[in-house]
Amino acid sequence: MQRRTLLKLSAASAAVLIVAGGAAALLQPGLKGGVLSDAGREVFSAVGRAVLDKTLPADDGARQVALQGLLTRVDILVQSLAPHAQAELSQLLALLASAAGRRAFAGLSQPWPEASIADIQHALQDMRLSALALRQQAYAALHDITAGAYFSDSSSWPLLGYPGPLKI
Amino acid sequence: MSQLKDPIREGLARGWKVMGGPHGPVPEKITCDVAIVGSGAGAGVTAELLAKAGLQVVIIEEGPLKSSSDFNQKESEAYPSLYQESAARKTEDKAINILQGRCVGGSTTVNWTSSFRTPASTLKYWQDKFGLSGYSVEALAPYFAQAEQRLNITPWLVPPNENNDLLRRGAAKLGIPASAISRNVKGCWNLGSCGLGCPTNAKQSMLVTTIPAALDMGAQLLVETRAESFELANGKVTALLCRSSRSSKKKTALAQMGNGQVAIKIVAKHYVLAGGAINSPAVLLRSGAPDPHGVLGARTFLHPVVMSSSVFEQKVEAWSGAPQTIYSDHFLDTQAIDGPIGYKLEAPPLHPVIFASTVPGFGQGQHDLLKSFPHNHTLLALLRDGFHDESRGGQVKLRGDSSAVLDYPLTPYVMEGGRRALLSMMEIQFAAGARQVLPLHELAQPYTSWAQARDAVNVLPLKPMLTRVVSAHVMGGCGLAGNERQGVTRPDGVHWQLENLSIHDGSLFPTSIGANPQLSIYGAVNRLAQGLAKKLAGRDVTLA
Repeated sequence: MQRRTLLKLSAASAAVLIVAGGAAALLQPGLKGGVLSDAGREVFSAVGRAVLDKTLPADDGARQVALQGLLTRVDILVQSLAPHAQAELSQLLALLASAAGRRAFAGLSQPWPEASIADIQHALQDMRLSALALRQQAYAALHDITAGAYFSDSSSWPLLGYPGPLKI
Repeated sequence: MSQLKDPIREGLARGWKVMGGPHGPVPEKITCDVAIVGSGAGAGVTAELLAKAGLQVVIIEEGPLKSSSDFNQKESEAYPSLYQESAARKTEDKAINILQGRCVGGSTTVNWTSSFRTPASTLKYWQDKFGLSGYSVEALAPYFAQAEQRLNITPWLVPPNENNDLLRRGAAKLGIPASAISRNVKGCWNLGSCGLGCPTNAKQSMLVTTIPAALDMGAQLLVETRAESFELANGKVTALLCRSSRSSKKKTALAQMGNGQVAIKIVAKHYVLAGGAINSPAVLLRSGAPDPHGVLGARTFLHPVVMSSSVFEQKVEAWSGAPQTIYSDHFLDTQAIDGPIGYKLEAPPLHPVIFASTVPGFGQGQHDLLKSFPHNHTLLALLRDGFHDESRGGQVKLRGDSSAVLDYPLTPYVMEGGRRALLSMMEIQFAAGARQVLPLHELAQPYTSWAQARDAVNVLPLKPMLTRVVSAHVMGGCGLAGNERQGVTRPDGVHWQLENLSIHDGSLFPTSIGANPQLSIYGAVNRLAQGLAKKLAGRDVTLA
């Protein structure tokens, strides 16, 4: 990418963030009572589908159960985060759950529940390689929380071939 | 749950004076001879020695008291209960994830037992650049020897697990020397769960050695109690203000932030700050401690770590067996300490959460890597930061809610060291027979030959965030120096401007160590605490 294009892109993204950030007070927070709000669940459910695409069970029913399990584990993980990290994650999820934020920040035109896995993966990849630090940070948070939470439960260990700790 | 004997529960039953959290309320005011903030490597050694000298000691620990009965080798419980910020502490720009302990025993409860004396080249640099003439190999040797005896630090004679043996074999093929790591264990079961709290009490952490010794001698331990700040007057500390750090799961983030009432006041003759790097400078920042030369919290080092992940035909099972038993200092020893940044190579253990969250990307590629878990072997390189003008470390700051955060810029100088380190690790992994190698970088792919990997990594943009960087060694921020312009702390461990405050933890180090730092803390603090015991109680005491 040319430096000029890159700068233009950064400036545009930054402007959108300021607008979206200014309206953050009007958005639904991503966390409520220390766990995912409906908005937060919507984002993590979609991100979970995309990040764990090949890893989730193929069967639709089992897949839904696994995704519910993921959301429960994200809730547990979020509860143990430091207050400042909870506040930041709540703002990030609020932004992503809003239509304007989703389009500008994630580059996703469809609402999260309706977006295809390919579209969500494309959005994640854009954030991952973005020149804007905030978007890179957002990708890292979504990716690491999703993968870490999913494999925090022994039900997911067979896929890894991990037998679990030795009994002592 | 472990069915073995639990020396902590036995101690509690014997009547140890432990308060806070589930152990009952802490009184609003406590007086004592010495208040020690923290219970990790520096605090533990100090507590044992001062209690031995007959001083009334109070230990204040932010985290919980957990012990072998609680240690079930599960990451989902260990990270939230035993680590700072649930093992998700990050630098201000979020480019580096930091692992630090937050429990009784501090990082020694969750570290991987690697024990090295401070390298001679590091001590020489401190003597030359920071006026620390007393910090010589010879002068420190007896203090290291005592710590090694007290904590059973000996060479690990059991054959390494496959994860570590791959480092040994790969390095040997390339003519790179690699050696065995000494460990602080006694009767180790070779489980590989050191990072999740030792369930068999084999690891000779502060949790099962110095802290119990101090408690048996009548010391008091306040747990789930956070040291907020010192009250200061006329160049002295007059009190330590603390509050309960217990968090309720029902509370929201906002409610927790609003729960800042200072509830406990500790008045002591002398105070020892040993909350670990990042947290110790933060206590001083919150206290408005004098800092006439602008050095408080500065020069905080991390040994930034880059990693290379590889897959072998045979099973590696990197979760199983003693972690980190082989290392190579070849890339530290073969270049000048103040030249291009050097690095130490080690093989970390892998467990599901840490592995899955570190496997980059999503979709098929990520799935294939996840499935390779039993065959996965990862190497890490600890970059020796702090010995060059372009590696000045980070600055500890306070957030709006007064919590601590480290601003650590990853300079091009450091990141170019990361590139050389990735190249070295990949070459070793291929030499050991790896089927594929993946440097942990968002733009990298799994490579199937050394030539392909080398060409790719030579042109990767080694930028923060794109490159996965972690740290488990936080050092500096209250640096030792022979003059007050260069550091926070005098060579005898006392604060340059506050006469009844000592600093006894990894925040003392004026550079990084260039080796896993626990034994460096034990050795240096052993000497400082013996001096302090003599000063305060007039008695000669030793650890071993």
